[in-house]
Amino acid sequence: MDKEQIFAELADSIVSCKKENVLDAVEKAKVELEPSEIIEMGLAPGMSKVGTLFEKGKLFLPHVMMAADAMNAGVDSLKDLMPDNDGESSMGVIVNGTVEGDVHDIGKSIVSTMLQSAGFEVYDVGRDVPIQVFIDKVREVGATMVGLSALMTTTLMGQKDVILKLEEEGLRESVKVMVGGSPATQVWADKIGADCYAENASEAVKKAKELLCA
Amino acid sequence: MYGVHSAVAGMNGMRTAGDLVARMQFAKSMRLPEAKEYVAQKLNVDAMDLADECMMREVREDLGLCTMTENIATPRGIASKMNIEKVLDLKINSCELFRNLSSIV
Amino acid sequence: MATEYITRMGDGRKVTMTKEEIRADIETGIGEAVDAAEVPELSGDEIDHLLEIVASKEKLVTVEHGKEVVLSLDGGSISIESEHGSGIPCGRINGVVMEERAYCLDVLELAHMDYSYKPVKPLTAVECQTMRQLQEITTTPLLYGAMPNMGLYYTPDGPYENPGDLMKAFKIQEAQDSIEKSAEHLTRDMIWILQKMMKNGGADGANFDTMAAAGDGDFYSALNAIEALRKEYPEMYIEAGMASETVLGIHGELKYDGVNVAGLWPHKQVELVEKAGANVFGPVCNTNTTYSFAWNLARAVTVVKACSENATIPIHVNMGNGVGGIPMFEVPSTDTISRADKAMIEIANVDGI
Repeated sequence: MDKEQIFAELADSIVSCKKENVLDAVEKAKVELEPSEIIEMGLAPGMSKVGTLFEKGKLFLPHVMMAADAMNAGVDSLKDLMPDNDGESSMGVIVNGTVEGDVHDIGKSIVSTMLQSAGFEVYDVGRDVPIQVFIDKVREVGATMVGLSALMTTTLMGQKDVILKLEEEGLRESVKVMVGGSPATQVWADKIGADCYAENASEAVKKAKELLCA
Repeated sequence: MYGVHSAVAGMNGMRTAGDLVARMQFAKSMRLPEAKEYVAQKLNVDAMDLADECMMREVREDLGLCTMTENIATPRGIASKMNIEKVLDLKINSCELFRNLSSIV
Repeated sequence: MATEYITRMGDGRKVTMTKEEIRADIETGIGEAVDAAEVPELSGDEIDHLLEIVASKEKLVTVEHGKEVVLSLDGGSISIESEHGSGIPCGRINGVVMEERAYCLDVLELAHMDYSYKPVKPLTAVECQTMRQLQEITTTPLLYGAMPNMGLYYTPDGPYENPGDLMKAFKIQEAQDSIEKSAEHLTRDMIWILQKMMKNGGADGANFDTMAAAGDGDFYSALNAIEALRKEYPEMYIEAGMASETVLGIHGELKYDGVNVAGLWPHKQVELVEKAGANVFGPVCNTNTTYSFAWNLARAVTVVKACSENATIPIHVNMGNGVGGIPMFEVPSTDTISRADKAMIEIANVDGI
């Protein structure tokens, strides 16, 4: 079997969302490929495909989580073959939450889930989150990105307030800021000095990868 | 925003026969052409005229269906809806409640 | 040099484009709808008509005589009277009468400021009283409106554990169980409130607004409530409107009438809404702020036309800030509203807005 076929099998096993399929595929692939190749060229593209299928409404949230769980199991099964720290998450640490005064939770939770399943270390601080909680969490976990959600025109300003506080606390240079939620736009993101705007969960993953993994 | 929708696309409620067409959509799940045809037939007008203010003002006055501006003798509220029940041949829940509470048969 | 036409982006910014550029965006917008929703594309004549509407030199365009549609309203008078909306200092009763006599709407709605069924439950008697007062002075059909908003049943607002938190901890079965329990509770609450509203308030009926805002469980719950109410009140007016274009699959396996409700697009949503017993369906097509108005409108018209063709009940399409092809902007421009209205009526054949 050539490498391309093995990569396709690994990706398909992730799309099946079944842990046993992923473990079988990884076991077979180990004979021919390096662990890093298995992860980067097989399992990770499979997770991207899961994200695309979720965006198209062909797979749903439980499937994304099952796929992520299966991917973690696959990566774990390669740990003995990898040098120290290889395979650990190095993609970025993201603090994600909905700004204070806004109780909308679901869209933000989906973004957290998708970021987590894409391999980021995600700290979801919830909804209706006071500014100081964002700041404290960024410091505590050494975040490289903050995700700010707002679903109402009346709470959108809270995103700007967090950015101002990050500047005040001397943290702005070390963290990227992503904004989202239905009233947010690219123009708004530019206006308040955010680093990016994401239209939906899949785009949030794409933008986070662009900013943190480039 | 309502103003734009009303001006470019709306039947415009009680200014015309918009409320009556809406009532048939909801009471009998009628699609728009069918609802317009039904109301037009009951009011004895052409379906094209249902959104015509001049035409419908007169029809509403004659049938006691409530008009946007009123003189003292024009029915409104429950009274106008009881007339609508007769004209459109249907029952309206608020009229039923009113009848039950007031013992009107 | 080719003539440039004033149009907008999906975030409302004014831009100029040539007819060729507008046509190209219309075609890719249609393509996106066909690909995502699996619906038929628009015909050549329809594309030409859409191009004519978008590229009109007039600031406002209108429908032809005789093509006027019914206007209903989500949110009742909240957007008129509240500080969240226009901030007009008036109470709800004045607001609803304004809907009838100043805004000339064809269907009215009474709603509570919280606009969700759960917070309304302890206030139902008060809501019934206001409904009765309004029924005595209005002529236009008057619905009671609120959102199912199932998120309010999850912690920290409600009694059931937040499925988002459970999912992130890979507790998938527990998350699904929590969604099912919340859905059952929500269905029970909506039925109870609306029974009172019909019996004691004399309401014409109800608007289930922004169904599926909390995903598939929310939609499933609303469908079950509609079914139960239809059985009990055959004459009740029921409007069922969506929160977004697809049903987010948070549970992923909930079935209504044998159909998995997750991932459905408007042309499939309407089949279930009809089965449940609603009289009017309000589909949504979301605006993407990074594409042009032409792209968004073409996409929305393609999705809604398929829904309208597949429906036997009237379709009142959601048209406003960020939906129905209209740009995402708190005060959407009148030029885009008028173009979107005309396109939805003349190409997608909707019965109302």
